[in-house]
Amino acid sequence: MMRVDSWQKAEIPGPIKAFPISDSKKLALLIKRAKKTLIVVGYRSLKLAQDKIDMTSYVIDLASKLNAHIAVTNTLIKEFSKKGYENTYLIPAMELADRLRDPEWKGFDGKGNYDMVVFIGFPYYYEWLILNGLKHFAYKHLKTVSLDPYYQPNATFSLPNLSLEKWIEFLKSLKDNL
Amino acid sequence: MGRKMKIKIGELESSFGRLKNLEISIGRVVEEWEEPEGPTPFPSVADLRDWDLKLLNRYKPMYMPFCDLCCLCTFGKCDLSRDKRGACGLDMAAQQSRFVLIACCIGAATHTGHARELVEFLIEKYGRDAPLDLGMEVHIEAPVTRLVTGIKPTTLGDLEDALDYVETQIVHMLAATHTGQEGNNIDFESKVFHVGMLDHVAMEVADIAQTALLGFPKADPEAPLADLGLGVIDISKPVILCIGHNIAPGTGIVDYIEKSGLSGLVEVCGLCCTAHELTRYSRMAKIIGPISWQLRFIRTGVPDVIVIDEQCIRTDISIEAKRIGAVVIATSEKNFQGFPDKTDDDPDKIVEELITGKIPGAFIRDFDKVGEVAVKAALKLAPMRTKFKALPSMDDVVKYANMCRKCKECERACPNNLPISEALAEAAKGKFEKLAHLYDYCIACTRCEKACPVGIPIFSLIAKASERIMKEEKFRIRVGRGPIQDTEIREVGRPIVLGEIPGIIAFVGCANYAEGGLELVKMCEEFLKRRYIVVASGCAAMTIGMYKNEEGKTLYELYPGNFDAGCLVNVGSCVANAHISGAAIKIASIFAKRRLRANYKEIADYILNRVGAVGIAWGAMSQKAASIASGFWRLGVPVIVGPHGAKYRRMLLGRRDREEDWYVYDARTGKRVYVGPVPEHLFYAAETMEEALVMAAKLCMRANDTTKGRAIKLTHYIDLHKKFFGKMPDDIHLFVRREADIPITMKDEILRVLKEKGWKEMEIPDPTLLEEMVRKRA
Repeated sequence: MMRVDSWQKAEIPGPIKAFPISDSKKLALLIKRAKKTLIVVGYRSLKLAQDKIDMTSYVIDLASKLNAHIAVTNTLIKEFSKKGYENTYLIPAMELADRLRDPEWKGFDGKGNYDMVVFIGFPYYYEWLILNGLKHFAYKHLKTVSLDPYYQPNATFSLPNLSLEKWIEFLKSLKDNL
Repeated sequence: MGRKMKIKIGELESSFGRLKNLEISIGRVVEEWEEPEGPTPFPSVADLRDWDLKLLNRYKPMYMPFCDLCCLCTFGKCDLSRDKRGACGLDMAAQQSRFVLIACCIGAATHTGHARELVEFLIEKYGRDAPLDLGMEVHIEAPVTRLVTGIKPTTLGDLEDALDYVETQIVHMLAATHTGQEGNNIDFESKVFHVGMLDHVAMEVADIAQTALLGFPKADPEAPLADLGLGVIDISKPVILCIGHNIAPGTGIVDYIEKSGLSGLVEVCGLCCTAHELTRYSRMAKIIGPISWQLRFIRTGVPDVIVIDEQCIRTDISIEAKRIGAVVIATSEKNFQGFPDKTDDDPDKIVEELITGKIPGAFIRDFDKVGEVAVKAALKLAPMRTKFKALPSMDDVVKYANMCRKCKECERACPNNLPISEALAEAAKGKFEKLAHLYDYCIACTRCEKACPVGIPIFSLIAKASERIMKEEKFRIRVGRGPIQDTEIREVGRPIVLGEIPGIIAFVGCANYAEGGLELVKMCEEFLKRRYIVVASGCAAMTIGMYKNEEGKTLYELYPGNFDAGCLVNVGSCVANAHISGAAIKIASIFAKRRLRANYKEIADYILNRVGAVGIAWGAMSQKAASIASGFWRLGVPVIVGPHGAKYRRMLLGRRDREEDWYVYDARTGKRVYVGPVPEHLFYAAETMEEALVMAAKLCMRANDTTKGRAIKLTHYIDLHKKFFGKMPDDIHLFVRREADIPITMKDEILRVLKEKGWKEMEIPDPTLLEEMVRKRA
């Protein structure tokens, strides 16, 4: 396995750390295996993308391919609402984390909790903490993926630290492979 | 009140010998007070545990571990990940709550130590019998202390009883964190609440003591305006900078300047809460800014003498001072900085030793001497430092920027992940805009500098590129006014409890902002325009004053300082936070005439169900902020923190989708009644300012709101939700109890939503979580 450090160096993880995945085909296969997927979009997703990719359209494309639900935690919901993807929900990140850790939660459709949750676009430390809560208290019923260009050690699967160009390339390739 | 009797004998000659400095303390002599004592005087954690469990059953802890290991004993390190337990048997949930308790014990002990020092200092100066006069309009002088302990302090000496109790309890709570003590996470959380409650007593003691004795504004809505910002200092004068929280050394400096006829010839300014206290004490003092302004100011090279007291001071202050040729005087036993103790030395000799560099700094415990040494040293040092340039030149900025290897180690060390490499790349080409842009978002921690493998002084480059911005930092802040008047509470009690004033929003805490301080100002302004009562304290109160509108006015110049709708109250420093919890308690006591004395559960139940107050600690950083927040939680006041606040590793969240969590007793009948998720959470880290605004408006709703009040609160909640999220909230049906709750202007829209959700009318009870408050069984 490649050696990967947390993006913010002092955020020392462990002992359980995310599998770093730099092969988009492999990640696509892992995500596709899930029965019910949720994509969670943070407010930093636009900032991270720096206009190199239309993030709302990208997330909707991913969700469409996966038949996934989208949870938006912030003002980006306005953009998502304009694009009209049916299964898009607004919920604060902390409330969502609280629901996700509960195996009895019924999800946004009332049919049950998710088994795969994909995060994108949060402040590094904020996502780090949410993922760690889920790593310890929700590991029996769900797996997590971080799609940010930083290694998130508390996810189940994470990208390694990537440059903007490599990250955009990865995201496009991931979509193509789903 | 309960009073300890002390007999002091200076010197006594008798047949059995000679006695000197004998002090005899005879227990507590109970002095009657017209109000009968409630059920929980001087409570231990067990006395209020049932109340805590009620709260924690509704607001369940959600843990986000900051570390997966425990390394507190030699059994460890223990891996607590997932369902593992450590060698002592503790699991991850208990370990996280244990850490929250440790943090809160640190915070509460810090305020208590501060309060104890202040009380001792003031007793030495004014005597144990000095009265606690807080002005004509404050009759309930110590609502938190009365509520918790059951004593009614009237003199400085009385405050010692409250502190004795607080100190003992903190020791017990800290002891519970030892290996092999508490093992249940919920009981750790109950202890967290207990420590928070104690903290508010300690803060109240500190602030009423200093307010009563040091001539601070006494509940004055028209407290004067003071200068604020890096640009307000006259750099042609010697400059003394005070950092920390304890006013005692500051009084020595101001008094010496006045006594020596040097007023106007020396600049005295402060950083962090000491700055608040200095401006409360003297009109000559100025505020530089919140905690994160420490290095911004020191690196400019302006201060000649730096006087440190306690709390939140950079621990490398002596290194930073040495870089600019300033001298440091330490004044608190909590922070010697390695300096020699010069308390008993001749002031002129100390000055000489400091200026010649014979000693690296001085520790002086005598505050009058601190004043003399600081002023004399500043007067001597200032002319010697006139040509001193601390910041690099623009040519140096370019030179340093060209050393950058673009390794991004700086960004990986930056708490806010700021784009430093990009800014340096531009600066290397002589373009400084991006570097200057970082100024608004940088918290001046200098982790970037420590991480840089080639030693670029990155923060100094940012400061240099922002020099013009810093010089233009000239603002006005209303000086901390201290307590809320009893008469103000009488005026606003009814509209708050009935919900007609939409809420009390308290901006408190430190300056660890994720996206700069401007967000805090925007939030504050939004609630002021909507006619909430807005209260501020500590570093947050300073940040609120650090932005001007187009006419060059700060919010303090635009909004009155009354405790009333659409007003902005600066209560003062961290310890003045007790006046915010005190105001909520006084609403129950003065307006609702609930018994106050040692009657914690009833008053907390009243506040939870009736007083729509929310704290926003947008830049909360410290352990003190944690204990302050936990004191609010036990009283039923929710607290929202910014994204960095998630690092407190535990939220207290309600679940609106669990109907069973939101039942109360109707005190009239004893019937269990569903009241909806009000307030929905107790502790919550928002990702964005917009989320915090909407959440704060929502958390102001209370079970007791009248239909008119609920309609007003819903109007703000829905309006803010639409403004930031572009649509109706999807939980409206949980907050509308009757059609009369619906804001008229939104009636059709809301009725449509209610129909879709299958809404049914709800009862509006006389709400309480306490069975003993039920007047008649159903």
